[in-house]
Amino acid sequence: MPDFSLTPEQESLRDAARKFARAEMAPKAAECDKTARFPEEIYRKAWELGLMNLNVPTEYGGSGLGALEQCLIVEELAYACGGMTTSIIANCLALEPILLGGTAEQKSRWLTPFCAEYHLASFCLTEPGGGSDAAGLQTRARKDGDGYVLSGEKCFITNGPHASLFTVFATLDPSLRSKGIAAFIVPGDAPGIVRGKDEDKMGHRASSTSTIRFEGVRIPSTQRLGSEQDGFSIAMRTLDQTRTPIGALATGIAQAALDHSARYSLERKSFGKAIAEHQAIQIKLANMAQAVHAARLLTWHAAWSIDHGHPSTLESSIAKCFASDAALRVADEAIQIFGGYGYMRDYPVEKLMRDAKLTQIYEGSNEIQRIVTARELLRQYG
Amino acid sequence: MEIVVLIKPIPEAESRLRATPDGRGPEPEGIKFVLAGYDESAVEQALLLKESLPGSSVHAVSFGPARCEETLRAAIALGADRATWVEGPPEGSDDPVLAARALAATLQTVPHDLVLGGKQAGDDEEGIVPGAIAELLGIPSFGYVTDLRSSGPSGLTFLRPTEAGVEQWEAPLPCVVGLQQAWNDPRSAKLPNILKSRKAPILKVDWPTTSTALALEAKPRSIGEKFELPAPRTGAKMIEFKTPEEAAEKLVRLLREEAKVFP
Amino acid sequence: MTPTVLVLAETSGGLLTGPTKEAIGVARTLAGSDGSVAAVTMGGPSALEALASFGLKEVWMADVPPEAATSGAVAALAAHAADESRAALVLLGGTTFGRDVTGRLAVRWGAAAATGVTEVAITGPEEVHVRRPVYGGRATESRRLVGPRTVIALRPHAFAEAAASAGTPTVHALDRSVIPVTEGAARRRSLAPAEPGSGPSLSDATIVVSGGRGMRAAENFHLIEELAQSLGAAVGASRAVTDAGWRPTSFQVGQTGRAVSPQLYIAVGISGAIQHVVGMVSSRTIVAINTDPSAPIFKVADYGLVGDALTILPALTREVRKVRGLPAN
Repeated sequence: MPDFSLTPEQESLRDAARKFARAEMAPKAAECDKTARFPEEIYRKAWELGLMNLNVPTEYGGSGLGALEQCLIVEELAYACGGMTTSIIANCLALEPILLGGTAEQKSRWLTPFCAEYHLASFCLTEPGGGSDAAGLQTRARKDGDGYVLSGEKCFITNGPHASLFTVFATLDPSLRSKGIAAFIVPGDAPGIVRGKDEDKMGHRASSTSTIRFEGVRIPSTQRLGSEQDGFSIAMRTLDQTRTPIGALATGIAQAALDHSARYSLERKSFGKAIAEHQAIQIKLANMAQAVHAARLLTWHAAWSIDHGHPSTLESSIAKCFASDAALRVADEAIQIFGGYGYMRDYPVEKLMRDAKLTQIYEGSNEIQRIVTARELLRQYG
Repeated sequence: MEIVVLIKPIPEAESRLRATPDGRGPEPEGIKFVLAGYDESAVEQALLLKESLPGSSVHAVSFGPARCEETLRAAIALGADRATWVEGPPEGSDDPVLAARALAATLQTVPHDLVLGGKQAGDDEEGIVPGAIAELLGIPSFGYVTDLRSSGPSGLTFLRPTEAGVEQWEAPLPCVVGLQQAWNDPRSAKLPNILKSRKAPILKVDWPTTSTALALEAKPRSIGEKFELPAPRTGAKMIEFKTPEEAAEKLVRLLREEAKVFP
Repeated sequence: MTPTVLVLAETSGGLLTGPTKEAIGVARTLAGSDGSVAAVTMGGPSALEALASFGLKEVWMADVPPEAATSGAVAALAAHAADESRAALVLLGGTTFGRDVTGRLAVRWGAAAATGVTEVAITGPEEVHVRRPVYGGRATESRRLVGPRTVIALRPHAFAEAAASAGTPTVHALDRSVIPVTEGAARRRSLAPAEPGSGPSLSDATIVVSGGRGMRAAENFHLIEELAQSLGAAVGASRAVTDAGWRPTSFQVGQTGRAVSPQLYIAVGISGAIQHVVGMVSSRTIVAINTDPSAPIFKVADYGLVGDALTILPALTREVRKVRGLPAN
């Protein structure tokens, strides 16, 4: 039988994240959402406490945490604000390619100074021409002497306006599809990088997102990760690692929606009693609790698989997809329980629905997750 | 400077308090105990002093049941150098004088230039321990202190707000200080330090040792008999009004005639 | 049973302080007709007159200048007086001074102790029962204090002040040699007296008016002060206000600030985060003014007004001044 109890280490990490989320993030969540402010003071503090580079080993100045620990932390942060959490964990996504594909020299050259100070990094895979079709990306890497020149445009880049480091996926030969893609480390001040405007988003408004255009950005070959053919594999393995924390992020949003709903239902009266006494509301709350619980367990299981070195593509796809669907459904029900108030910006639940929506889309849309799930599933039969 | 900081695990602010089945005390089951309030401030103050005086060290000490260990680890994660758990009696005791006696018995065996604590614990709010420890150690003590500063190797200065005004004091070391001041932003522990704190050694002084040292004084003389929660407030009587003047007039009337608290 | 109850008396400007008069009142009740009430004072001859007017039979007197009145010095003298008077119980007022001395005196004199006490009864030859609020007023506990000696610090405002009653006490001088030499090195360098007209301090006040984020800007905080002045109240603030630097942290009510329990607490533009609530929930009557009808402060308040503090406060101040017969500002 699996053991669902957390170790004292895990509990104290979760408590620290909870304390930070409630003391620092929650009080500013509504304001940052309303004004689309990027609360750099919160992100700096998150970095100071080691909440930012969770997956980077301590030898390079990160927190060196396993997948389950990351999930515990991310759920707590997202409980307070999904958008801030997206910006806080973007470094994990952006640095994972270096952890997976970098040489020891590249890691100490790039990760150590990066983690020693407050810096943001961005993962540059998605392009305007197609998000889910990663193998068909169009950003070009042209060989030039002892290096490469990058040209092309990436979009929906989290922390793009602020990042001082990019991991960029570009093709040496589009006709080779996935076999032609290489991954590069690109410093944020490299000449030829053009950052687009901060996008005006439906949710995750405390996070910032922009296009990044590469106009003939020169990169020495020492900044290539792995071989010229390894890029696609690095990207896919990166997403295998980071998909699960997105499940945790969605779980955090869903838990917040459930908590708001349960509390409100005990206070709000209709037909002479608290609405929690109406079975219509009880059934909603029960369904929401089931969804939150299942989302969390699936996420923990996927994280456990990663930490134990088991194959985890199926598990992480299921977790991310289920938890994000659950988050949207639970947030939707929360608004329904709040009724008209739920639709008002002065109440906290409509933000949860807007924030939940993105978790179905980013880091591999849920359609892609289902395709991956089906592929992994059918492989067991075929 | 050898700084000892006294800490006590207290229920998280959000905790739902309830009484034990026998009704004599607060139920610890299901409560999360944390380092908080004045004690958290005391740890912050200890670390600030340590940082300003090279060669100083901070020793966190806690008296009570096994949950003290978690609170001590929290202090280590924040930057305390050492930690000692002074075990309480197995049947439990919340007699503050007994706590002071047990703590003083241990402090007599460890270096201490400054013994820092919160002015009172966040749960029982007695505020007895700092003074009682000082009396047992035979050194001066000062409660309700703010703006504590080192004034060289052998002294301190601080302020103390009293009913008459704000006093300014100079005090020698060693002494015991109970802090009134609260920092709104005491530092938080960094994740790698939290992980390290899990493996840090915590010295345990077991109850039989303390009990033997205290001899006849090892028995509590302040015993909880009944722990009561007030009936939950049912929510405010909402005053309806159209103009601010109407609001003011209605409120003042209610305060005079109904609540009878108008001066 | 003829208990002697000894009160540690504090004076201010030649008069007994309110908390000392409260302690004398409690001492009279506990001593009953058989027992007696004595006092110990550090205030020298100038305190005698004040004590004489409260009908005390015996007074132990030392003359310790406030500059040297450390808790260690006072505890040593008070313990000596307690021994000489054969007291069973020493009562202290709920002042900073009184509470600071309690722990030391308990050890010095070998007594059981409690502070912040709102009810006290002698229930047996070596047994005293007390009640006291705990957890920031969220709960109340009853404790049994056992043994021949007990030291108790009362909670301010929990008891009525004793009425004056003429008498001529027998005076015993206390020998300052009982003060430990280690106390000699500590010195009070100065006292910045509370500004006249600044109103009562937060922990003393019977009314507190507190402002929060809903005041919107530091420039609006004078509205809180004007209401407080009209009520003779102390001014408090939520953490949001002190964090924003509108007022210093000494104004802060709550978990990391002061805990208060006045007769009337008026929370203006304060949402009612638990960290604030634990510092004021034991107030007798709570009024909340907030624009947000769902603010949690309305759950702990007795009276609620949903509206903008910036318009309600001036009207409220005018109304209070009118009802109290104060000149309009």
